[in-house]
Amino acid sequence: MTKGVIVPLETARLVEYAVPIACYICEGQNNFDAEYCRYCSAPMALAHQADRAKVPPTMVAAMGVSGVGKTVYLGMLMDMLSRASRDTRLLARGAFSINLQQATVGALARCGFPGKTPNEPDHWNWVHCQIRNAALRNPLDLIMPDMAGEALLEEMDHPHSFRVISAFLQKCSGSLILVDAVKLIEGGQDQEFFTMKLTSYLGELGGRRGNDWSKRPVAVVFTKADRNEECSEDPEAFAKAHATGLWEQCRERFRIHKFFAAGVAGACAWRDTFDEGRVQVPLRVEPHGIVEPFEWLLSHLAKSKQR
Amino acid sequence: MSRLKRILIPAAAVLAGVVVVGYGQLRGESSWLIAGGVCLVAGLAGGAFLSFRRTVQREAPATGHKPKPIAAPRGDDSDSLVAQMLAQGRYALLLRPQVAADLEPHQFESTLEILQTHMALVPDGTVILGEAEDRDQQQEAGREGWWQRQRAVRVGPYFLDRYPITNRQYYEFVASGGYEQITYWDAAIWPAVLDFVDQTKQPGPRFWTDGYCAPGEEDHPVVGVCWYEASAFSRWAGKRLPTDAEWVKAGAWPVKLSETQSSQRRYPWGDTMERAKANLWGSGPGTTVSVNDLADGVSVGGIYQLIGNVWEWTRSDYVPGCFPPEEFISESPLKSLRGGAFDTYFDSQATCQFQSGDVQMARRRNIGFRCALSVSDLMLYRESSPKSQNEEVPEEVNA
Repeated sequence: MTKGVIVPLETARLVEYAVPIACYICEGQNNFDAEYCRYCSAPMALAHQADRAKVPPTMVAAMGVSGVGKTVYLGMLMDMLSRASRDTRLLARGAFSINLQQATVGALARCGFPGKTPNEPDHWNWVHCQIRNAALRNPLDLIMPDMAGEALLEEMDHPHSFRVISAFLQKCSGSLILVDAVKLIEGGQDQEFFTMKLTSYLGELGGRRGNDWSKRPVAVVFTKADRNEECSEDPEAFAKAHATGLWEQCRERFRIHKFFAAGVAGACAWRDTFDEGRVQVPLRVEPHGIVEPFEWLLSHLAKSKQR
Repeated sequence: MSRLKRILIPAAAVLAGVVVVGYGQLRGESSWLIAGGVCLVAGLAGGAFLSFRRTVQREAPATGHKPKPIAAPRGDDSDSLVAQMLAQGRYALLLRPQVAADLEPHQFESTLEILQTHMALVPDGTVILGEAEDRDQQQEAGREGWWQRQRAVRVGPYFLDRYPITNRQYYEFVASGGYEQITYWDAAIWPAVLDFVDQTKQPGPRFWTDGYCAPGEEDHPVVGVCWYEASAFSRWAGKRLPTDAEWVKAGAWPVKLSETQSSQRRYPWGDTMERAKANLWGSGPGTTVSVNDLADGVSVGGIYQLIGNVWEWTRSDYVPGCFPPEEFISESPLKSLRGGAFDTYFDSQATCQFQSGDVQMARRRNIGFRCALSVSDLMLYRESSPKSQNEEVPEEVNA
């Protein structure tokens, strides 16, 4: 009797195992119980969740050079939208989607910034969430990974070195490009060159059904703007004055783009640690301009969906 | 004039002009043509004028809300001088022992009354600075045993402003030439005082326009003032900025339970966060509110808005609370800030114990201040003057 029960179950499992499932990012075929895609290392949970959803999730990229504040931006964005008092609300889908928020908020509450995102895609924090907003007719399923800046740079310099990045960016509906306002003011050219490389890369990348990057909304966000009042007051004028190349590239390459300023720490100082060396520490947390670029992006995504 | 009238009157004139010109052409009479032409021109000119006037009205800045500064007394009238100082909020100067001894009894009494209305007495005692961190937290953060976070500080009795300094109060300082009188300013900052200007380059807080705050914000806490401006105002008012320990004592209101134990509050109203009692991120309008609001969040001593609305400058230097002070590096010295502001995100950063800091020259949208006054600097009691005794004796006899 016992044998009679076990055999059909094992068979069902074998049948299930034999049916491949496509990675939601790169569409590579994987085993049903794979945790990460064997081709691009994206979590397969995204594919399982997308499989169950009626409408395929939309993807939005947050990009910028290493240390620009992508993790802090995305973590704070998630935390702010998770609080019920806002017009735009966020509901995480899957426990893994809360890791980024937890890491960011935990670090900031202890007067520190979250650690550097590792280069390996299977160590990135992926966020899959549902967004509710008045501009959207139906709740929007959204996927946003916290990609490592160095991996992005590597992919731009050597295309296809990170399959997950190229596959993800091809499918993205819009993006947030983060630029460090403090480094721009200090005269550092890295930020501008990185962003110009990125815009060129996106321009060459193309997209599905002729939907190339020139038609997708791009929000350029100057981070750490709390330490530069000129940037907070008029981000577009700031871009024109301090990142002329970037400003020109955005005008040339993206039909729908806007400049924003964002900041999380009201003031910062430095801490000389034994193990990590000199690290920056926030003296208080006062988020500004975090939600605005995202809501602008959402409004354009809603318009494109209506079309 | 309503928008409808602005459009309708010139349009009617133009229409009448067209009709009259048409009629004149039909009749072939030049008088009708002239009358119609006049109507047409008048209609067009009237429309253009009304439109221009509207534009000018819209672009003109709101004027008239800037009050006149309190007038200086005429001659040697001591009553007028005292009245002026009281109206300006400089009562603390009148209670200095050197001055108070010369006041008339009624002047002394009214000054004392104003002091008690505007400032709260914080009794002397010991306050614990720094939050307790248990062993698990220290282990988690990898810093077991290296650092004692808490320290006890003895504080003498003092008065603290019940409310943060408002735009209206600060205006009196600006209008009385506070930015021109170098005696109020630290010598080190003299060259920079000229740079402490508002949006229209007039001396004053950074976010003011034409030497005054935005309409309706007279009772909001003054913001956009650096530590030096806060100190200068305090000197002008005869007060000073509170020390870190004094500020914490006013909010945490420690009560000594035994020789070794005391109880302190986490928030001025108790030990649990109640966001409705403070203007913080997510619980307020996202900007400053009047200093008279949020009466539920008042401290035991009757002090408003110690938590939320604006960070408050103190006279103490910033000492990091989250990591060892010897690891701290800053390009320029920081002054301690207390209390949290309308945009403070974490509850843990809006407690009586949490300390932030900023450079002394920072003129931010969310930093204000309130003033303090040591009891030892004031004459709060004096023997009745011979004059008043003479007045009272006959009354007693008569009774």
